[in-house]
Amino acid sequence: MKPERPALTILALAGGLLFLLPVLYSIWLSFQTAHAYYSGGLEFTVGNYGNAIGQFHFLRYLLNSLIVSGVVTVAGLSVATAAAFAFARFRFPGGNFLFAATVATLMIPSHITLIPNYLTLAQAGLLDSYAGLILPAVGNGFAAFFLRQYIRGIPRALDEAAYMDGATPLKVLWRVIVPIARPAILSMGLFIFLGEWNSYIWPLVAINNDDLFTLQIGLTRLYKLNAGEGLIDWPLVMAASTISLLPVIAGFALVERHLVRGITAGALK
Amino acid sequence: MCDIAARPPGRAACLLMQSKFIPYLLVLPLIAFLAVFTYVPIGVSLYLSVHTWDFLSPDMPFVGLANYAELLSSYDFWNSLRVTTIFAVVSVPLRLGLALAVASYLSRQTASARILRGALFLPSVTSAVSIGVVFSWFFSTDYGFANALLHAIGLPKIAWMQDPGVSLGVLIAVNTWKQLGYDVVIYVAALQAVPRELYDAAAVDGGRRWHVFRRVTFPLVMPTTYFLLIVSVIDAFQVFTIVDVMTEGGPAGATDVLVNMLYRVGFTLFNIGTGSALAVLLFAFLIVLALLKARVIGQKVHYEA
Repeated sequence: MKPERPALTILALAGGLLFLLPVLYSIWLSFQTAHAYYSGGLEFTVGNYGNAIGQFHFLRYLLNSLIVSGVVTVAGLSVATAAAFAFARFRFPGGNFLFAATVATLMIPSHITLIPNYLTLAQAGLLDSYAGLILPAVGNGFAAFFLRQYIRGIPRALDEAAYMDGATPLKVLWRVIVPIARPAILSMGLFIFLGEWNSYIWPLVAINNDDLFTLQIGLTRLYKLNAGEGLIDWPLVMAASTISLLPVIAGFALVERHLVRGITAGALK
Repeated sequence: MCDIAARPPGRAACLLMQSKFIPYLLVLPLIAFLAVFTYVPIGVSLYLSVHTWDFLSPDMPFVGLANYAELLSSYDFWNSLRVTTIFAVVSVPLRLGLALAVASYLSRQTASARILRGALFLPSVTSAVSIGVVFSWFFSTDYGFANALLHAIGLPKIAWMQDPGVSLGVLIAVNTWKQLGYDVVIYVAALQAVPRELYDAAAVDGGRRWHVFRRVTFPLVMPTTYFLLIVSVIDAFQVFTIVDVMTEGGPAGATDVLVNMLYRVGFTLFNIGTGSALAVLLFAFLIVLALLKARVIGQKVHYEA
């Protein structure tokens, strides 16, 4: 990084905070009492968080979001990595066709599958279940495509050395390919996790049971419930919103580099 | 690749690797999930779009193209198409123009550029629901930040989300704020890939800043612009979450984008046939755009001649 005048750095910091002001202010708001907010005073409390968790089950929603996003990420990565390995390393009849069919899913907008998937899961009795939230998101054509490109860049000599030592293809995948492709797999995992954490329209149609709401659905319901009653308890709504934002904001600083690498690789390769 | 003369364990592995089943077993889970939840549903949508059904009724009569005819003669469809088109036509150039301008200042490797890139990028990875809720407060008529600012400089309140003439503009602004950082990050990567010598050469030729930008930078990032153009048009035609949170398509249909109409027709009116027909029309349009995008990604971008 090139050196620069500290004043410029401070100015940039101020500019960044100004850009994020609406979000930062909403977090600030979540620590105020509704009474003080509406009467123009200033009074701090953590009671809004207590309310969001006690009265509105936001701890439960947080847990649901973690479970669903976690399982989708692990299952999606496993399925995509196995397929990516096959597409990158094996020539088999129909392989090119199956790869083309996988890549084609990158172009398919998700709304076309909304009604049919609802029907499929209704028939299987899986609406209002974790499985109903998870299953439609597991097959991820983009992840398979991205990882296949990465695996093709790994020298074949490494696989061959392992085969010489008597390894099976699954062992080669697990002991050779996965460790080397770790950065790509991690970047992809972040994307899948974030996408699932933020996903909205599918949980909106698939879940009716309050116990299974994800954070996004719980937050919308809380906000609309308040709006329907006229006066919105903004500090409470902002506490709920902060619970949904904070894991992403906290993780962001740690993984920004991976995210940037992931999206620019997708765009420029 | 596979040495038949290898010692026995190696040969066994060879045979295994050549065994016909391994690659199929490896791709099977992916293809099975995609088949059930992506490929087959496209066919199902087409099938449902020529039938009439309400989720519950035991029979599902075939109606030919009646659902499409109904859509194309309805006010709601044309209204949604108009609203979505305005959303795309305004928000796409806004996003790309702002992003390129910002990125050309932030492509430097300095602490301040890094900080600002991070700040701009953050909203694009956060949830659209939270962003929608936060901006619902920001633009709320009686207690919002925007009207407090107007009040401070002596201007009257604006009913940001209740005024049909303003609400779509608010959604475009919020969406631009949220997505800008993504475009910036992509542009920065493209700008950093432009060889320094090209700028130095332009500088030697006495090019002024704007001149260098127009003649050197702009043409070189053209493939990236084209990529972002298509991505953001696809985004714009699929916008739903912030609309559902902030306005639910209102007031009076002023923000009733296509996916919002699809959700309403399918999941609140339970008009499966018409909803599917709408999904198919939107799908046909987006697939054309997606094919263009695939061509852009397919082209290798070389900056050196």
